[in-house]
Amino acid sequence: MELNMRLYQKLFTGVICLGLLTACGSTNPPTQQLTETQMVIQQAEELGAEDYAPLEIRDARIKLDLAREAVKDEEYDKAIRLAEHARLDAELAQIKARSGKAQKEVAELRESIRVLKSEIERNQRNN
Amino acid sequence: MMNLLQQIHTTFLPKAILGLIPLLLIFTGCAGPQAANSELTTATEAYNEAQRDPSIAQFAPVALKEAEEALERTQSLWEAKADKSSVDHYAYIALQKTRIALETAAFNAANQEISRSEVERQQVLLDVRRSEADRSEARAQSALEEARGERALADEARRRADLLAARVNELEARPTDRGLVLTLGDVLFETGQSDLRSAGMKTMDDLAKFLQEYPERNILVEGFTDNVGSESFNMELSRKRANSVKAAILNRNIAENRIRTVGYGFQYPVGSNDTAAGRQQNRRVEIIISEQDGTITTRGQ
Repeated sequence: MELNMRLYQKLFTGVICLGLLTACGSTNPPTQQLTETQMVIQQAEELGAEDYAPLEIRDARIKLDLAREAVKDEEYDKAIRLAEHARLDAELAQIKARSGKAQKEVAELRESIRVLKSEIERNQRNN
Repeated sequence: MMNLLQQIHTTFLPKAILGLIPLLLIFTGCAGPQAANSELTTATEAYNEAQRDPSIAQFAPVALKEAEEALERTQSLWEAKADKSSVDHYAYIALQKTRIALETAAFNAANQEISRSEVERQQVLLDVRRSEADRSEARAQSALEEARGERALADEARRRADLLAARVNELEARPTDRGLVLTLGDVLFETGQSDLRSAGMKTMDDLAKFLQEYPERNILVEGFTDNVGSESFNMELSRKRANSVKAAILNRNIAENRIRTVGYGFQYPVGSNDTAAGRQQNRRVEIIISEQDGTITTRGQ
């Protein structure tokens, strides 16, 4: 019985230690996450984020760089959070670029409709 | 926190309404007053503003829901008194998700507007083509009418020309270099006198009618005699005969300025004064009808 108790105690201590370790932070660099974030930033750039969301895309790049530095310093938790922020900034930049382009298209269509309507009026006046 | 209160509320209210008040007091005591997290406040304000915009719920319900969940998670962390850096981290996520929801709504609204505008543009394009077709048709129509008008004018001119030819034929006038010439023979006048016989009146009627129909044309009346008798007598007689023709035309309502007269006596014979037939030919009145410009050249000019 005493032996069993000791075993339970050891197991319990182990679980606590594991829990503490997990709480303390990651033991592996978030390489995958950084790669993904880099891709999201790249997609945002391809969508024209530089024109439509220059501040957001700048924030994303800076935070990704900081995340990489944190990885070098083996501050993985910090790296994860920075990468997460960078990704959200890049996602915001993407949707801003899409939205900006769509609004431009709306403006162009409206202008085209306006021109066509004035053409109709001119035709009717000349009749 | 609200959910928990709600649960407590529904669980205990029916059984112990009075017990609720101390319980609430205890609960509030447990939560305690807590310093506000500025990042969380910013995120909450941004979310509340987005939620009030009905277009966000319409155009980006999923993104808004994600923002809401991120905000709730931050809120619970804060309530559980998690460390500030964690609350800040999740608050930023909630804030960015709210911003993404706003932009997603703008993007989807713009896309809907693009679809609508494209339909409208197609419709307007059709209208443009229709209006262009209408315009071409109107132009073709007016060209046709113009052509018809020109043809009508041409028809009218031809009709008038035909009529003139017919009238000239009726008058028995002959075309010459000076214009149409109508000759009134000696037999239409009383012998040795200037009065027109009734037979001449018929010719006067025709001539007056002609002048009424062609108001741009004028006439020159020239009197001639044979060489029997003195020059002055013949000159006088030729003038008188020309004037009696003028008087007859004036009587038929033709303006005086359209009629000129001249007497030439025995000048310009057309036949030989040696024979009776030739002398009769020479005793005559010639009426020259002008062309449309109204002018007639006088003899010897």
